[in-house]
Amino acid sequence: MKNKIPPQQQESLKSAAVEDDANPTDEHQPFEQRLEHALADGQMHSALGRFAPSWRASRQAVFGYEEDEYGPDYSFTHMRSLLREAKDYAIEHQSELLAQFRAMAEAAGAIVYEARTAEEANRYIYELCTRKGIDLVVKSKTMVSEETELNHYLEARGIKAVETDLGEWVAQLAHERPSHMVMPIIHKTRQQVGTLLTEATGREISRENVAEQVAVIRVEHRKSFLNAAMGISGANALIAESGTVMMLTNEGNGRLVTSLPPVHVVMAGYDKLIGTFAEAMTQLRLLARSATGQHITSYTTFITGPATSDKEMHIVLVDNGRSKMRADPRFKDALRCIRCAACANICPPYQQVGGHAFGYIYSGAIGLVVTPFHHGIEAGAGPQSLCVSCNACETVCPVEIPLPSLILDVRHRAVEAKGLPWLKKAIFGALARPRFFDVAVRFFSLAQLPVTRGSNYVRTRSLGILGKLPGMHAIVKLAGWRSLPAFATKPLRDRVKGQVLSPSKISSKDELGRSTITVCYFAGCMTDRLFPEMGEAVIKVLRACGVQVTFPQKQNCCGLIALNSGDWADGATMARQTITTLEQALEKSKADYILSASASCVVSIVQDYMKLFEDLQQPGWLRRARALAEKVMDFTSFMDHVLLANGTKLSVREGGERTDDVIVTYHDSCQSINCLGLRSEARHIIQDVLGLELREMPQSDVCCGFGGSTSIEHGEVAERIMNNKLNNAESTGAAVLVADNPGCLMHLRGGVDASGRKMRVLHLAQLMAERLA
Amino acid sequence: MTTIDPFVRFQERLTAVGGEAHAVAGITQAAEVISSHPALTDGEVIVAPNFAACQPWGAILPLLTSKGIKIREAGSPASVADAPAGISGAELAIAETGSVLLAENSLEARVVGMLTLTHFVLVREERLLPMLEDAGNLLQKLTVAGPDQRRYISLVTGPSRTADIERTLTIGVQGPRVLCVIVVG
Repeated sequence: MKNKIPPQQQESLKSAAVEDDANPTDEHQPFEQRLEHALADGQMHSALGRFAPSWRASRQAVFGYEEDEYGPDYSFTHMRSLLREAKDYAIEHQSELLAQFRAMAEAAGAIVYEARTAEEANRYIYELCTRKGIDLVVKSKTMVSEETELNHYLEARGIKAVETDLGEWVAQLAHERPSHMVMPIIHKTRQQVGTLLTEATGREISRENVAEQVAVIRVEHRKSFLNAAMGISGANALIAESGTVMMLTNEGNGRLVTSLPPVHVVMAGYDKLIGTFAEAMTQLRLLARSATGQHITSYTTFITGPATSDKEMHIVLVDNGRSKMRADPRFKDALRCIRCAACANICPPYQQVGGHAFGYIYSGAIGLVVTPFHHGIEAGAGPQSLCVSCNACETVCPVEIPLPSLILDVRHRAVEAKGLPWLKKAIFGALARPRFFDVAVRFFSLAQLPVTRGSNYVRTRSLGILGKLPGMHAIVKLAGWRSLPAFATKPLRDRVKGQVLSPSKISSKDELGRSTITVCYFAGCMTDRLFPEMGEAVIKVLRACGVQVTFPQKQNCCGLIALNSGDWADGATMARQTITTLEQALEKSKADYILSASASCVVSIVQDYMKLFEDLQQPGWLRRARALAEKVMDFTSFMDHVLLANGTKLSVREGGERTDDVIVTYHDSCQSINCLGLRSEARHIIQDVLGLELREMPQSDVCCGFGGSTSIEHGEVAERIMNNKLNNAESTGAAVLVADNPGCLMHLRGGVDASGRKMRVLHLAQLMAERLA
Repeated sequence: MTTIDPFVRFQERLTAVGGEAHAVAGITQAAEVISSHPALTDGEVIVAPNFAACQPWGAILPLLTSKGIKIREAGSPASVADAPAGISGAELAIAETGSVLLAENSLEARVVGMLTLTHFVLVREERLLPMLEDAGNLLQKLTVAGPDQRRYISLVTGPSRTADIERTLTIGVQGPRVLCVIVVG
């Protein structure tokens, strides 16, 4: 980006670069350092910790209100599908809408400039300043100017750019980047703000009184507004039918920036194009509500050309990687983004580290997705590793962007570009070779005995000297807060081998006159090798419900662990193995269903496999994956939607007196709630079928922090998320914590063990098996 | 689904964001609301240069003058900045969000609503419409190219605000601290 810079300005560029080096929040700092700094920022941690639940509540309230008052057409679900349609149309017909927008805007007197790169956009604005002798510009919030690093560019060339949005200005004073797209200084205390304002103004400003601090901005920026010859703003939408720029603000600075200076420059990405006012109203309904839980912002402004004849208006449209996104059949969906930051607000790892680490200029889930296109895969590689694939972001996106799967696509690209860490390569490679993996696991299940000492856990204290071996440091650190599970000396496959798992009662046939349901049980590698007792419980419960169970001995890992790490090669190998094994098992047993008590495996097979074979362009496997998916069901759905719905009666022990032992709290695993849409089923089973007391924990539907390999790569983040979950669970007073996903259970169980908490952590099937009469 | 009187809804939404909403029978009562408002202790109110001639709101000016209130026409932004009170007319009000739609092209007219501390907005009762779709329809019409094209339109919902510092809400930042909408029958 370095243009021909006059010598006297090279100095200021150098000193700006030095400042950046010293600034731990700047995106040019290595990711690891930004992350370390973020994890140490106690203020940001508590601010984000308070914000997350309060935002969720406000958002729920505002969308609930709209639906209650105006009906289902105004529900979030309906409105977002309308906006998605409108944005998809705009993306599909971009040249048409662009031509229309341009024609209308120019007819109204605006000058439209199309910038292909960040450099072109910055240079256009800089040259406009030099032509007019402008050395001071006032800015209202525009993410695109941060994307192109406009302020840096102008300042290196002697032009002062003043941010007038309160949060952006304070960040500017602190020489820091905003840590959130909508709340730039959420990471700052009022004390810090008061100090910054005191230094900037030379007056003593209160460290406590926020109203007084806010009043400062009105005074300090008055001169800038009145004297600046250029105002630079963003756009929330570019309405093609009239050539109108739509802008949402709360403070009032946006209207001053765009009205007072004689020259107004709008910077906007092409993706801001939308067809009509009607569609813009839908966007209006969704944007503020998703961002802050407001019904609408204080000001929504519609600018069509320069308002008066003495004014000049330029609209700089920025590509900077957007056309590459548009050309990609998957990433084109991300162009629908309306920059609401809901995907940041709901994200559990974001909540722990904030926007400086969880992104690169653009933060939150969308930041992980677009960064490779605007700033390169290097910039995106670090931040994407923080994603735990909980899928919460997708549930709140007002334009239905498939963020979780796009993030995994970015992960895959990062792995292609940079390779996999050797340990992962070794593990996935082993998993993809079932016979070798079997031998290796059996070996480890014996070799670990001195360390597990007969317990089900590998604990730090028992690692001893082993912990000092090379490569063990990460394991030791992990075991410190999450006791690791031991390999079962007798895996599930051994326990069921040769057995006939027939119904333990004849109820199905007798009571319903229907033939017995048969299922193929797909245990998943975790249940098989680490928690065979969970598998045994599943089988016991199914048999007690009159179901015939078969266990295909050839089953292995579904491949999720590799796919989620961006390793498509090993993941696809395991997917193909799994499909083949289950097809054969179905053929042999004539089973009605393939059943798994691992929600993660189920989602992997019924959702992820299809996408994988589409991306690999293997239509044969895609067809087979689709056919297999029809037969696959998770344990909870099977119990509730099939067995109980068919009138199956479970003989359970009486609830009896309410002893502590039968008070249960339930964790909604991400796959179950966000991917499979399950919520009431498990609760129905626990309360109505088992007759137990269920106490809801706060935020039962927030991720437990396991996130597959994320808990190893980013142990501290995973630990914090886990602690939130365990604290929430404990707060109910329940003695038993239940979930239906072995990954979550391993994580939570290990956390309970390492912290000495007193809670039993069970799979739903284990709870049911315990309560059978 | 509920059907609520539009003004009741409008008032509910506007007061929820810290604005004021009044429904009055006519322009005389509107003048009363303004003149008795605490913002008028200074006795001066700013209006756009063409306000006196605008229908129907121009008629309010002599009513205010008769109560001893000085009328000043907005000039440069600097001259209006932080003036205690300003009055504008709105094209439309939207009940769903408690918003008013202002569509004056001239800078002087617009700074009345951008830089004064208390902003009074007058809107006719028949222009109080239920939903944002209604705003969208009007926006479409107002932006059509031609001599009456409105080039700078704002949907204003309450006073200016920020929660940027520790998420503590502060009303009154760069824009007005008080927004008072008077719906005139």
